[in-house]
Amino acid sequence: MGAYFLKRLLGLIPVLLGITLLVFLFLQLIPGDPAEALLGERASAEEIAKLREKLGLNKPLYVQYLTFLGNVLRGDLGTSAVSTIPVAEELKRRWPATFELALAATALAVLLGIPIGILAALRRNTLWDTLSMSFSLVGVSMPVFWLGLLLVYLFAVNLHWLPTGGRLSTDLSIDFQPLTGFLLLDGLLAGKPHVTWDALRHLVLPAITLGTIPLAIITRITRSAMLEVLSQDYVRTARAKGLAERQVILKHALRNALLPVVTIVGLQFGTLLGGAILTETIFSWPGIGSYIYEGILNRDYPVVQAGVLVVATSFVLINLIVDLSYALLDPRIQYR
Amino acid sequence: MKKLLVGLLAALSLGMAQKTLVFGSNGEPVSLEPGNITDGISIYVQHQIYDTLVDFKPGTTEPVPGLAESWESNKEATVWTFRLRRGVRFHDGTELTAEAVKFNVERWWDPKNPTRIDAAARYEIWPYLFGGSKGEEGSILKEIQVVDKYTIRFVLSKPFPAFPAAIGSGYFGIASPTAIKKDGAKYGSPTGSAIGTGPFRLVEWRPGDQIVLERNPNFWKPGLPKVDRLVFKVIKDPAARLAALKAGTIDFTTDIPPSNLRDLEADPNLDAVFRPSFNVGYLALNPSHKPLADKRVRQAIAMAINKKAIVQAFWGRLGVTDGHFTPPSMKAFQSPKVTDYEFNPQKAKALLAQAGYPNGFDLELWYMPVSRPYFPTPKEIAEAMAADLSAIGIRVKLQTKDWASYLADRKKSPGFQAYMLGWNGDYGDPQNFYDPHFLGPIADLFDPQGKNLVIPELNELLVKGATTPGKEREAIYQRVDELTFDLALRVPIVHSQPLLAKRKNVTGWTPSPLGSESFEAVDKR
Repeated sequence: MGAYFLKRLLGLIPVLLGITLLVFLFLQLIPGDPAEALLGERASAEEIAKLREKLGLNKPLYVQYLTFLGNVLRGDLGTSAVSTIPVAEELKRRWPATFELALAATALAVLLGIPIGILAALRRNTLWDTLSMSFSLVGVSMPVFWLGLLLVYLFAVNLHWLPTGGRLSTDLSIDFQPLTGFLLLDGLLAGKPHVTWDALRHLVLPAITLGTIPLAIITRITRSAMLEVLSQDYVRTARAKGLAERQVILKHALRNALLPVVTIVGLQFGTLLGGAILTETIFSWPGIGSYIYEGILNRDYPVVQAGVLVVATSFVLINLIVDLSYALLDPRIQYR
Repeated sequence: MKKLLVGLLAALSLGMAQKTLVFGSNGEPVSLEPGNITDGISIYVQHQIYDTLVDFKPGTTEPVPGLAESWESNKEATVWTFRLRRGVRFHDGTELTAEAVKFNVERWWDPKNPTRIDAAARYEIWPYLFGGSKGEEGSILKEIQVVDKYTIRFVLSKPFPAFPAAIGSGYFGIASPTAIKKDGAKYGSPTGSAIGTGPFRLVEWRPGDQIVLERNPNFWKPGLPKVDRLVFKVIKDPAARLAALKAGTIDFTTDIPPSNLRDLEADPNLDAVFRPSFNVGYLALNPSHKPLADKRVRQAIAMAINKKAIVQAFWGRLGVTDGHFTPPSMKAFQSPKVTDYEFNPQKAKALLAQAGYPNGFDLELWYMPVSRPYFPTPKEIAEAMAADLSAIGIRVKLQTKDWASYLADRKKSPGFQAYMLGWNGDYGDPQNFYDPHFLGPIADLFDPQGKNLVIPELNELLVKGATTPGKEREAIYQRVDELTFDLALRVPIVHSQPLLAKRKNVTGWTPSPLGSESFEAVDKR
């Protein structure tokens, strides 16, 4: 297993190289000059030329690409052309926000989706099954932006139950200095549970918004996986042996049904890490998705290149963890 | 006993409760270093931290004393002497002197200045407004002289009657030289400081999240600012920002889409606020496209568009239309002979026939993909104009591309055939409106041979207007107004009043036409 792990890790390198190359090339294909985008309506030809020189945009493409790679290997992810803040610093700051939100959304999707999916499989073709599958369809079809705004207007503006956006209330955020950036944790670490509570309240609506689609998908996958497993011989055997139904389902059936589910959960979580742009926009959530998106709009090449690299790396690592977890779930699977 | 103590503490803390004003910002500042930015959000935050030499009467573009108590020039408007207020201190305790002002101006003017933060190479606003950097031929500034501790003199290479208005722009806040020297490259960034003389001091800048400012206890205007803390909360999405305003998470904000006006007026907790117009949204007609090389065709287009109806439909009370390129606040420089193009599709069609296009022609009309203060909903406005033009036989094809490309490609010969764009003034002088758009060679209009457009008669007038001091200027610019109206190269569609909003308990906010203002007098009941 150790050898497999190492092999997979090494396999990451060509994947990541390929991704960075693709991103770099695509950025070049997008029309529009980064210097002009930065300077806006007022730009004169000389100013643009000067800025291009400054940003190194006139060097041949392969030089720009290799410079970027070389810097990455030294830990330098470049500097934002717009804000002049080092990209690594900004990503480090935004990472906990994205991770916390993605985790909350995935937790919601998993904690609700798996039980609903199991029940749907057990009570197949009943009202429960039809209802949960319909909700699943609605959930996956709903535009995220629309859902988010709807939730804000209902729960925040009209009912005043929850906040409209951000990670913390303004008053708290002014004086509170987070330790790790994971606010739920930081509040407890600092002995200020009201901060954790406030952060939790701010997490609810974005997590629901972001988690609705994964919830729908996980519900569906759990249901089909369970259905497939429940029809297997060994389940019949377990029942015949006289085991309690609960044992049959949870200990025997579910564990095997989880394989495809874990895969999907992993993929969903990986996607959420980089793709929560719409949710981040509505809720003013300072995450990585909106950072990269703004970078694209501004033609801020360093931000986009480094940002995508980080997101891709985490995605690939998550996939690796998912693959490794298979061995835990199914002893038949061996790694060579 | 314990309960009594707790109660006392609670009462005390309530009494000492800080008054916090929260502003919903539609984006993030780029930098808090003066002279090195042009984006509106940076200027807005800087307006709270810094003062400029010249201030403006609230709600107008009329210069009043700022850090300079008074100023005067020689007859030719080539030598300007500013007398500074005494006893003004920066947030770090150091004193405002003529040397400090010189330190700041030199950083903006001199490319070789050692204290420049070179990472972004963006010190372009000074050379842009003042003709060039130090050492360049076009530089209007020739020399800075420190006459005495509180008197500074600017010697110019040519007359510049609008010099006080220009140097009073929000770009040119005066920062503490001590702080700049100490922070070096970090100055004005989230990891550095930003030290001015303004009503608020920077406490913390959390990128992507918010900027926290607190009152300057030593502010040189007595009794100000009104609040203890000011927070700029970054909420980029307009719908989310409006929701936050309704919920009370923020107290006031800008950049509300005009379509929300009714909503604001209906909400008992909110007030609609209008920023006086200081912009122009126009339709540019490029002579490089053959039919448009004929003035009659351009005038026909101007007469075919029902500007009044369009402005009423898309802006309502928030916009006015007329034939002047400059906004209504610059009335002194507008010709009384110019009102507007007559809306007359029949006459327009006749003009087209006269010019040789009785059956119209094809036209590509470009609209921008982003919302701008002068054109909040560009696509719909473009569609309305296209409909009007098709009524006189012009077959319009609507085009757009992403904003960065839009700005870049319009300057590549032969440019766009017809395109929408606009301009928000930098300072209250017609030169700032006319020169970038009509002083040849024009960057984004081309002649039928594909060369940048030059109109000699217009150039002559504009150069004269920029350098003639006194009342004579008004006559010159009135002539420019008449000429640009006749040429119809950029048909003014609207002068819009951007829509802002506040909660009812917020008072004392007087938005400036220049795009940003100090919040020193804003209070919260």
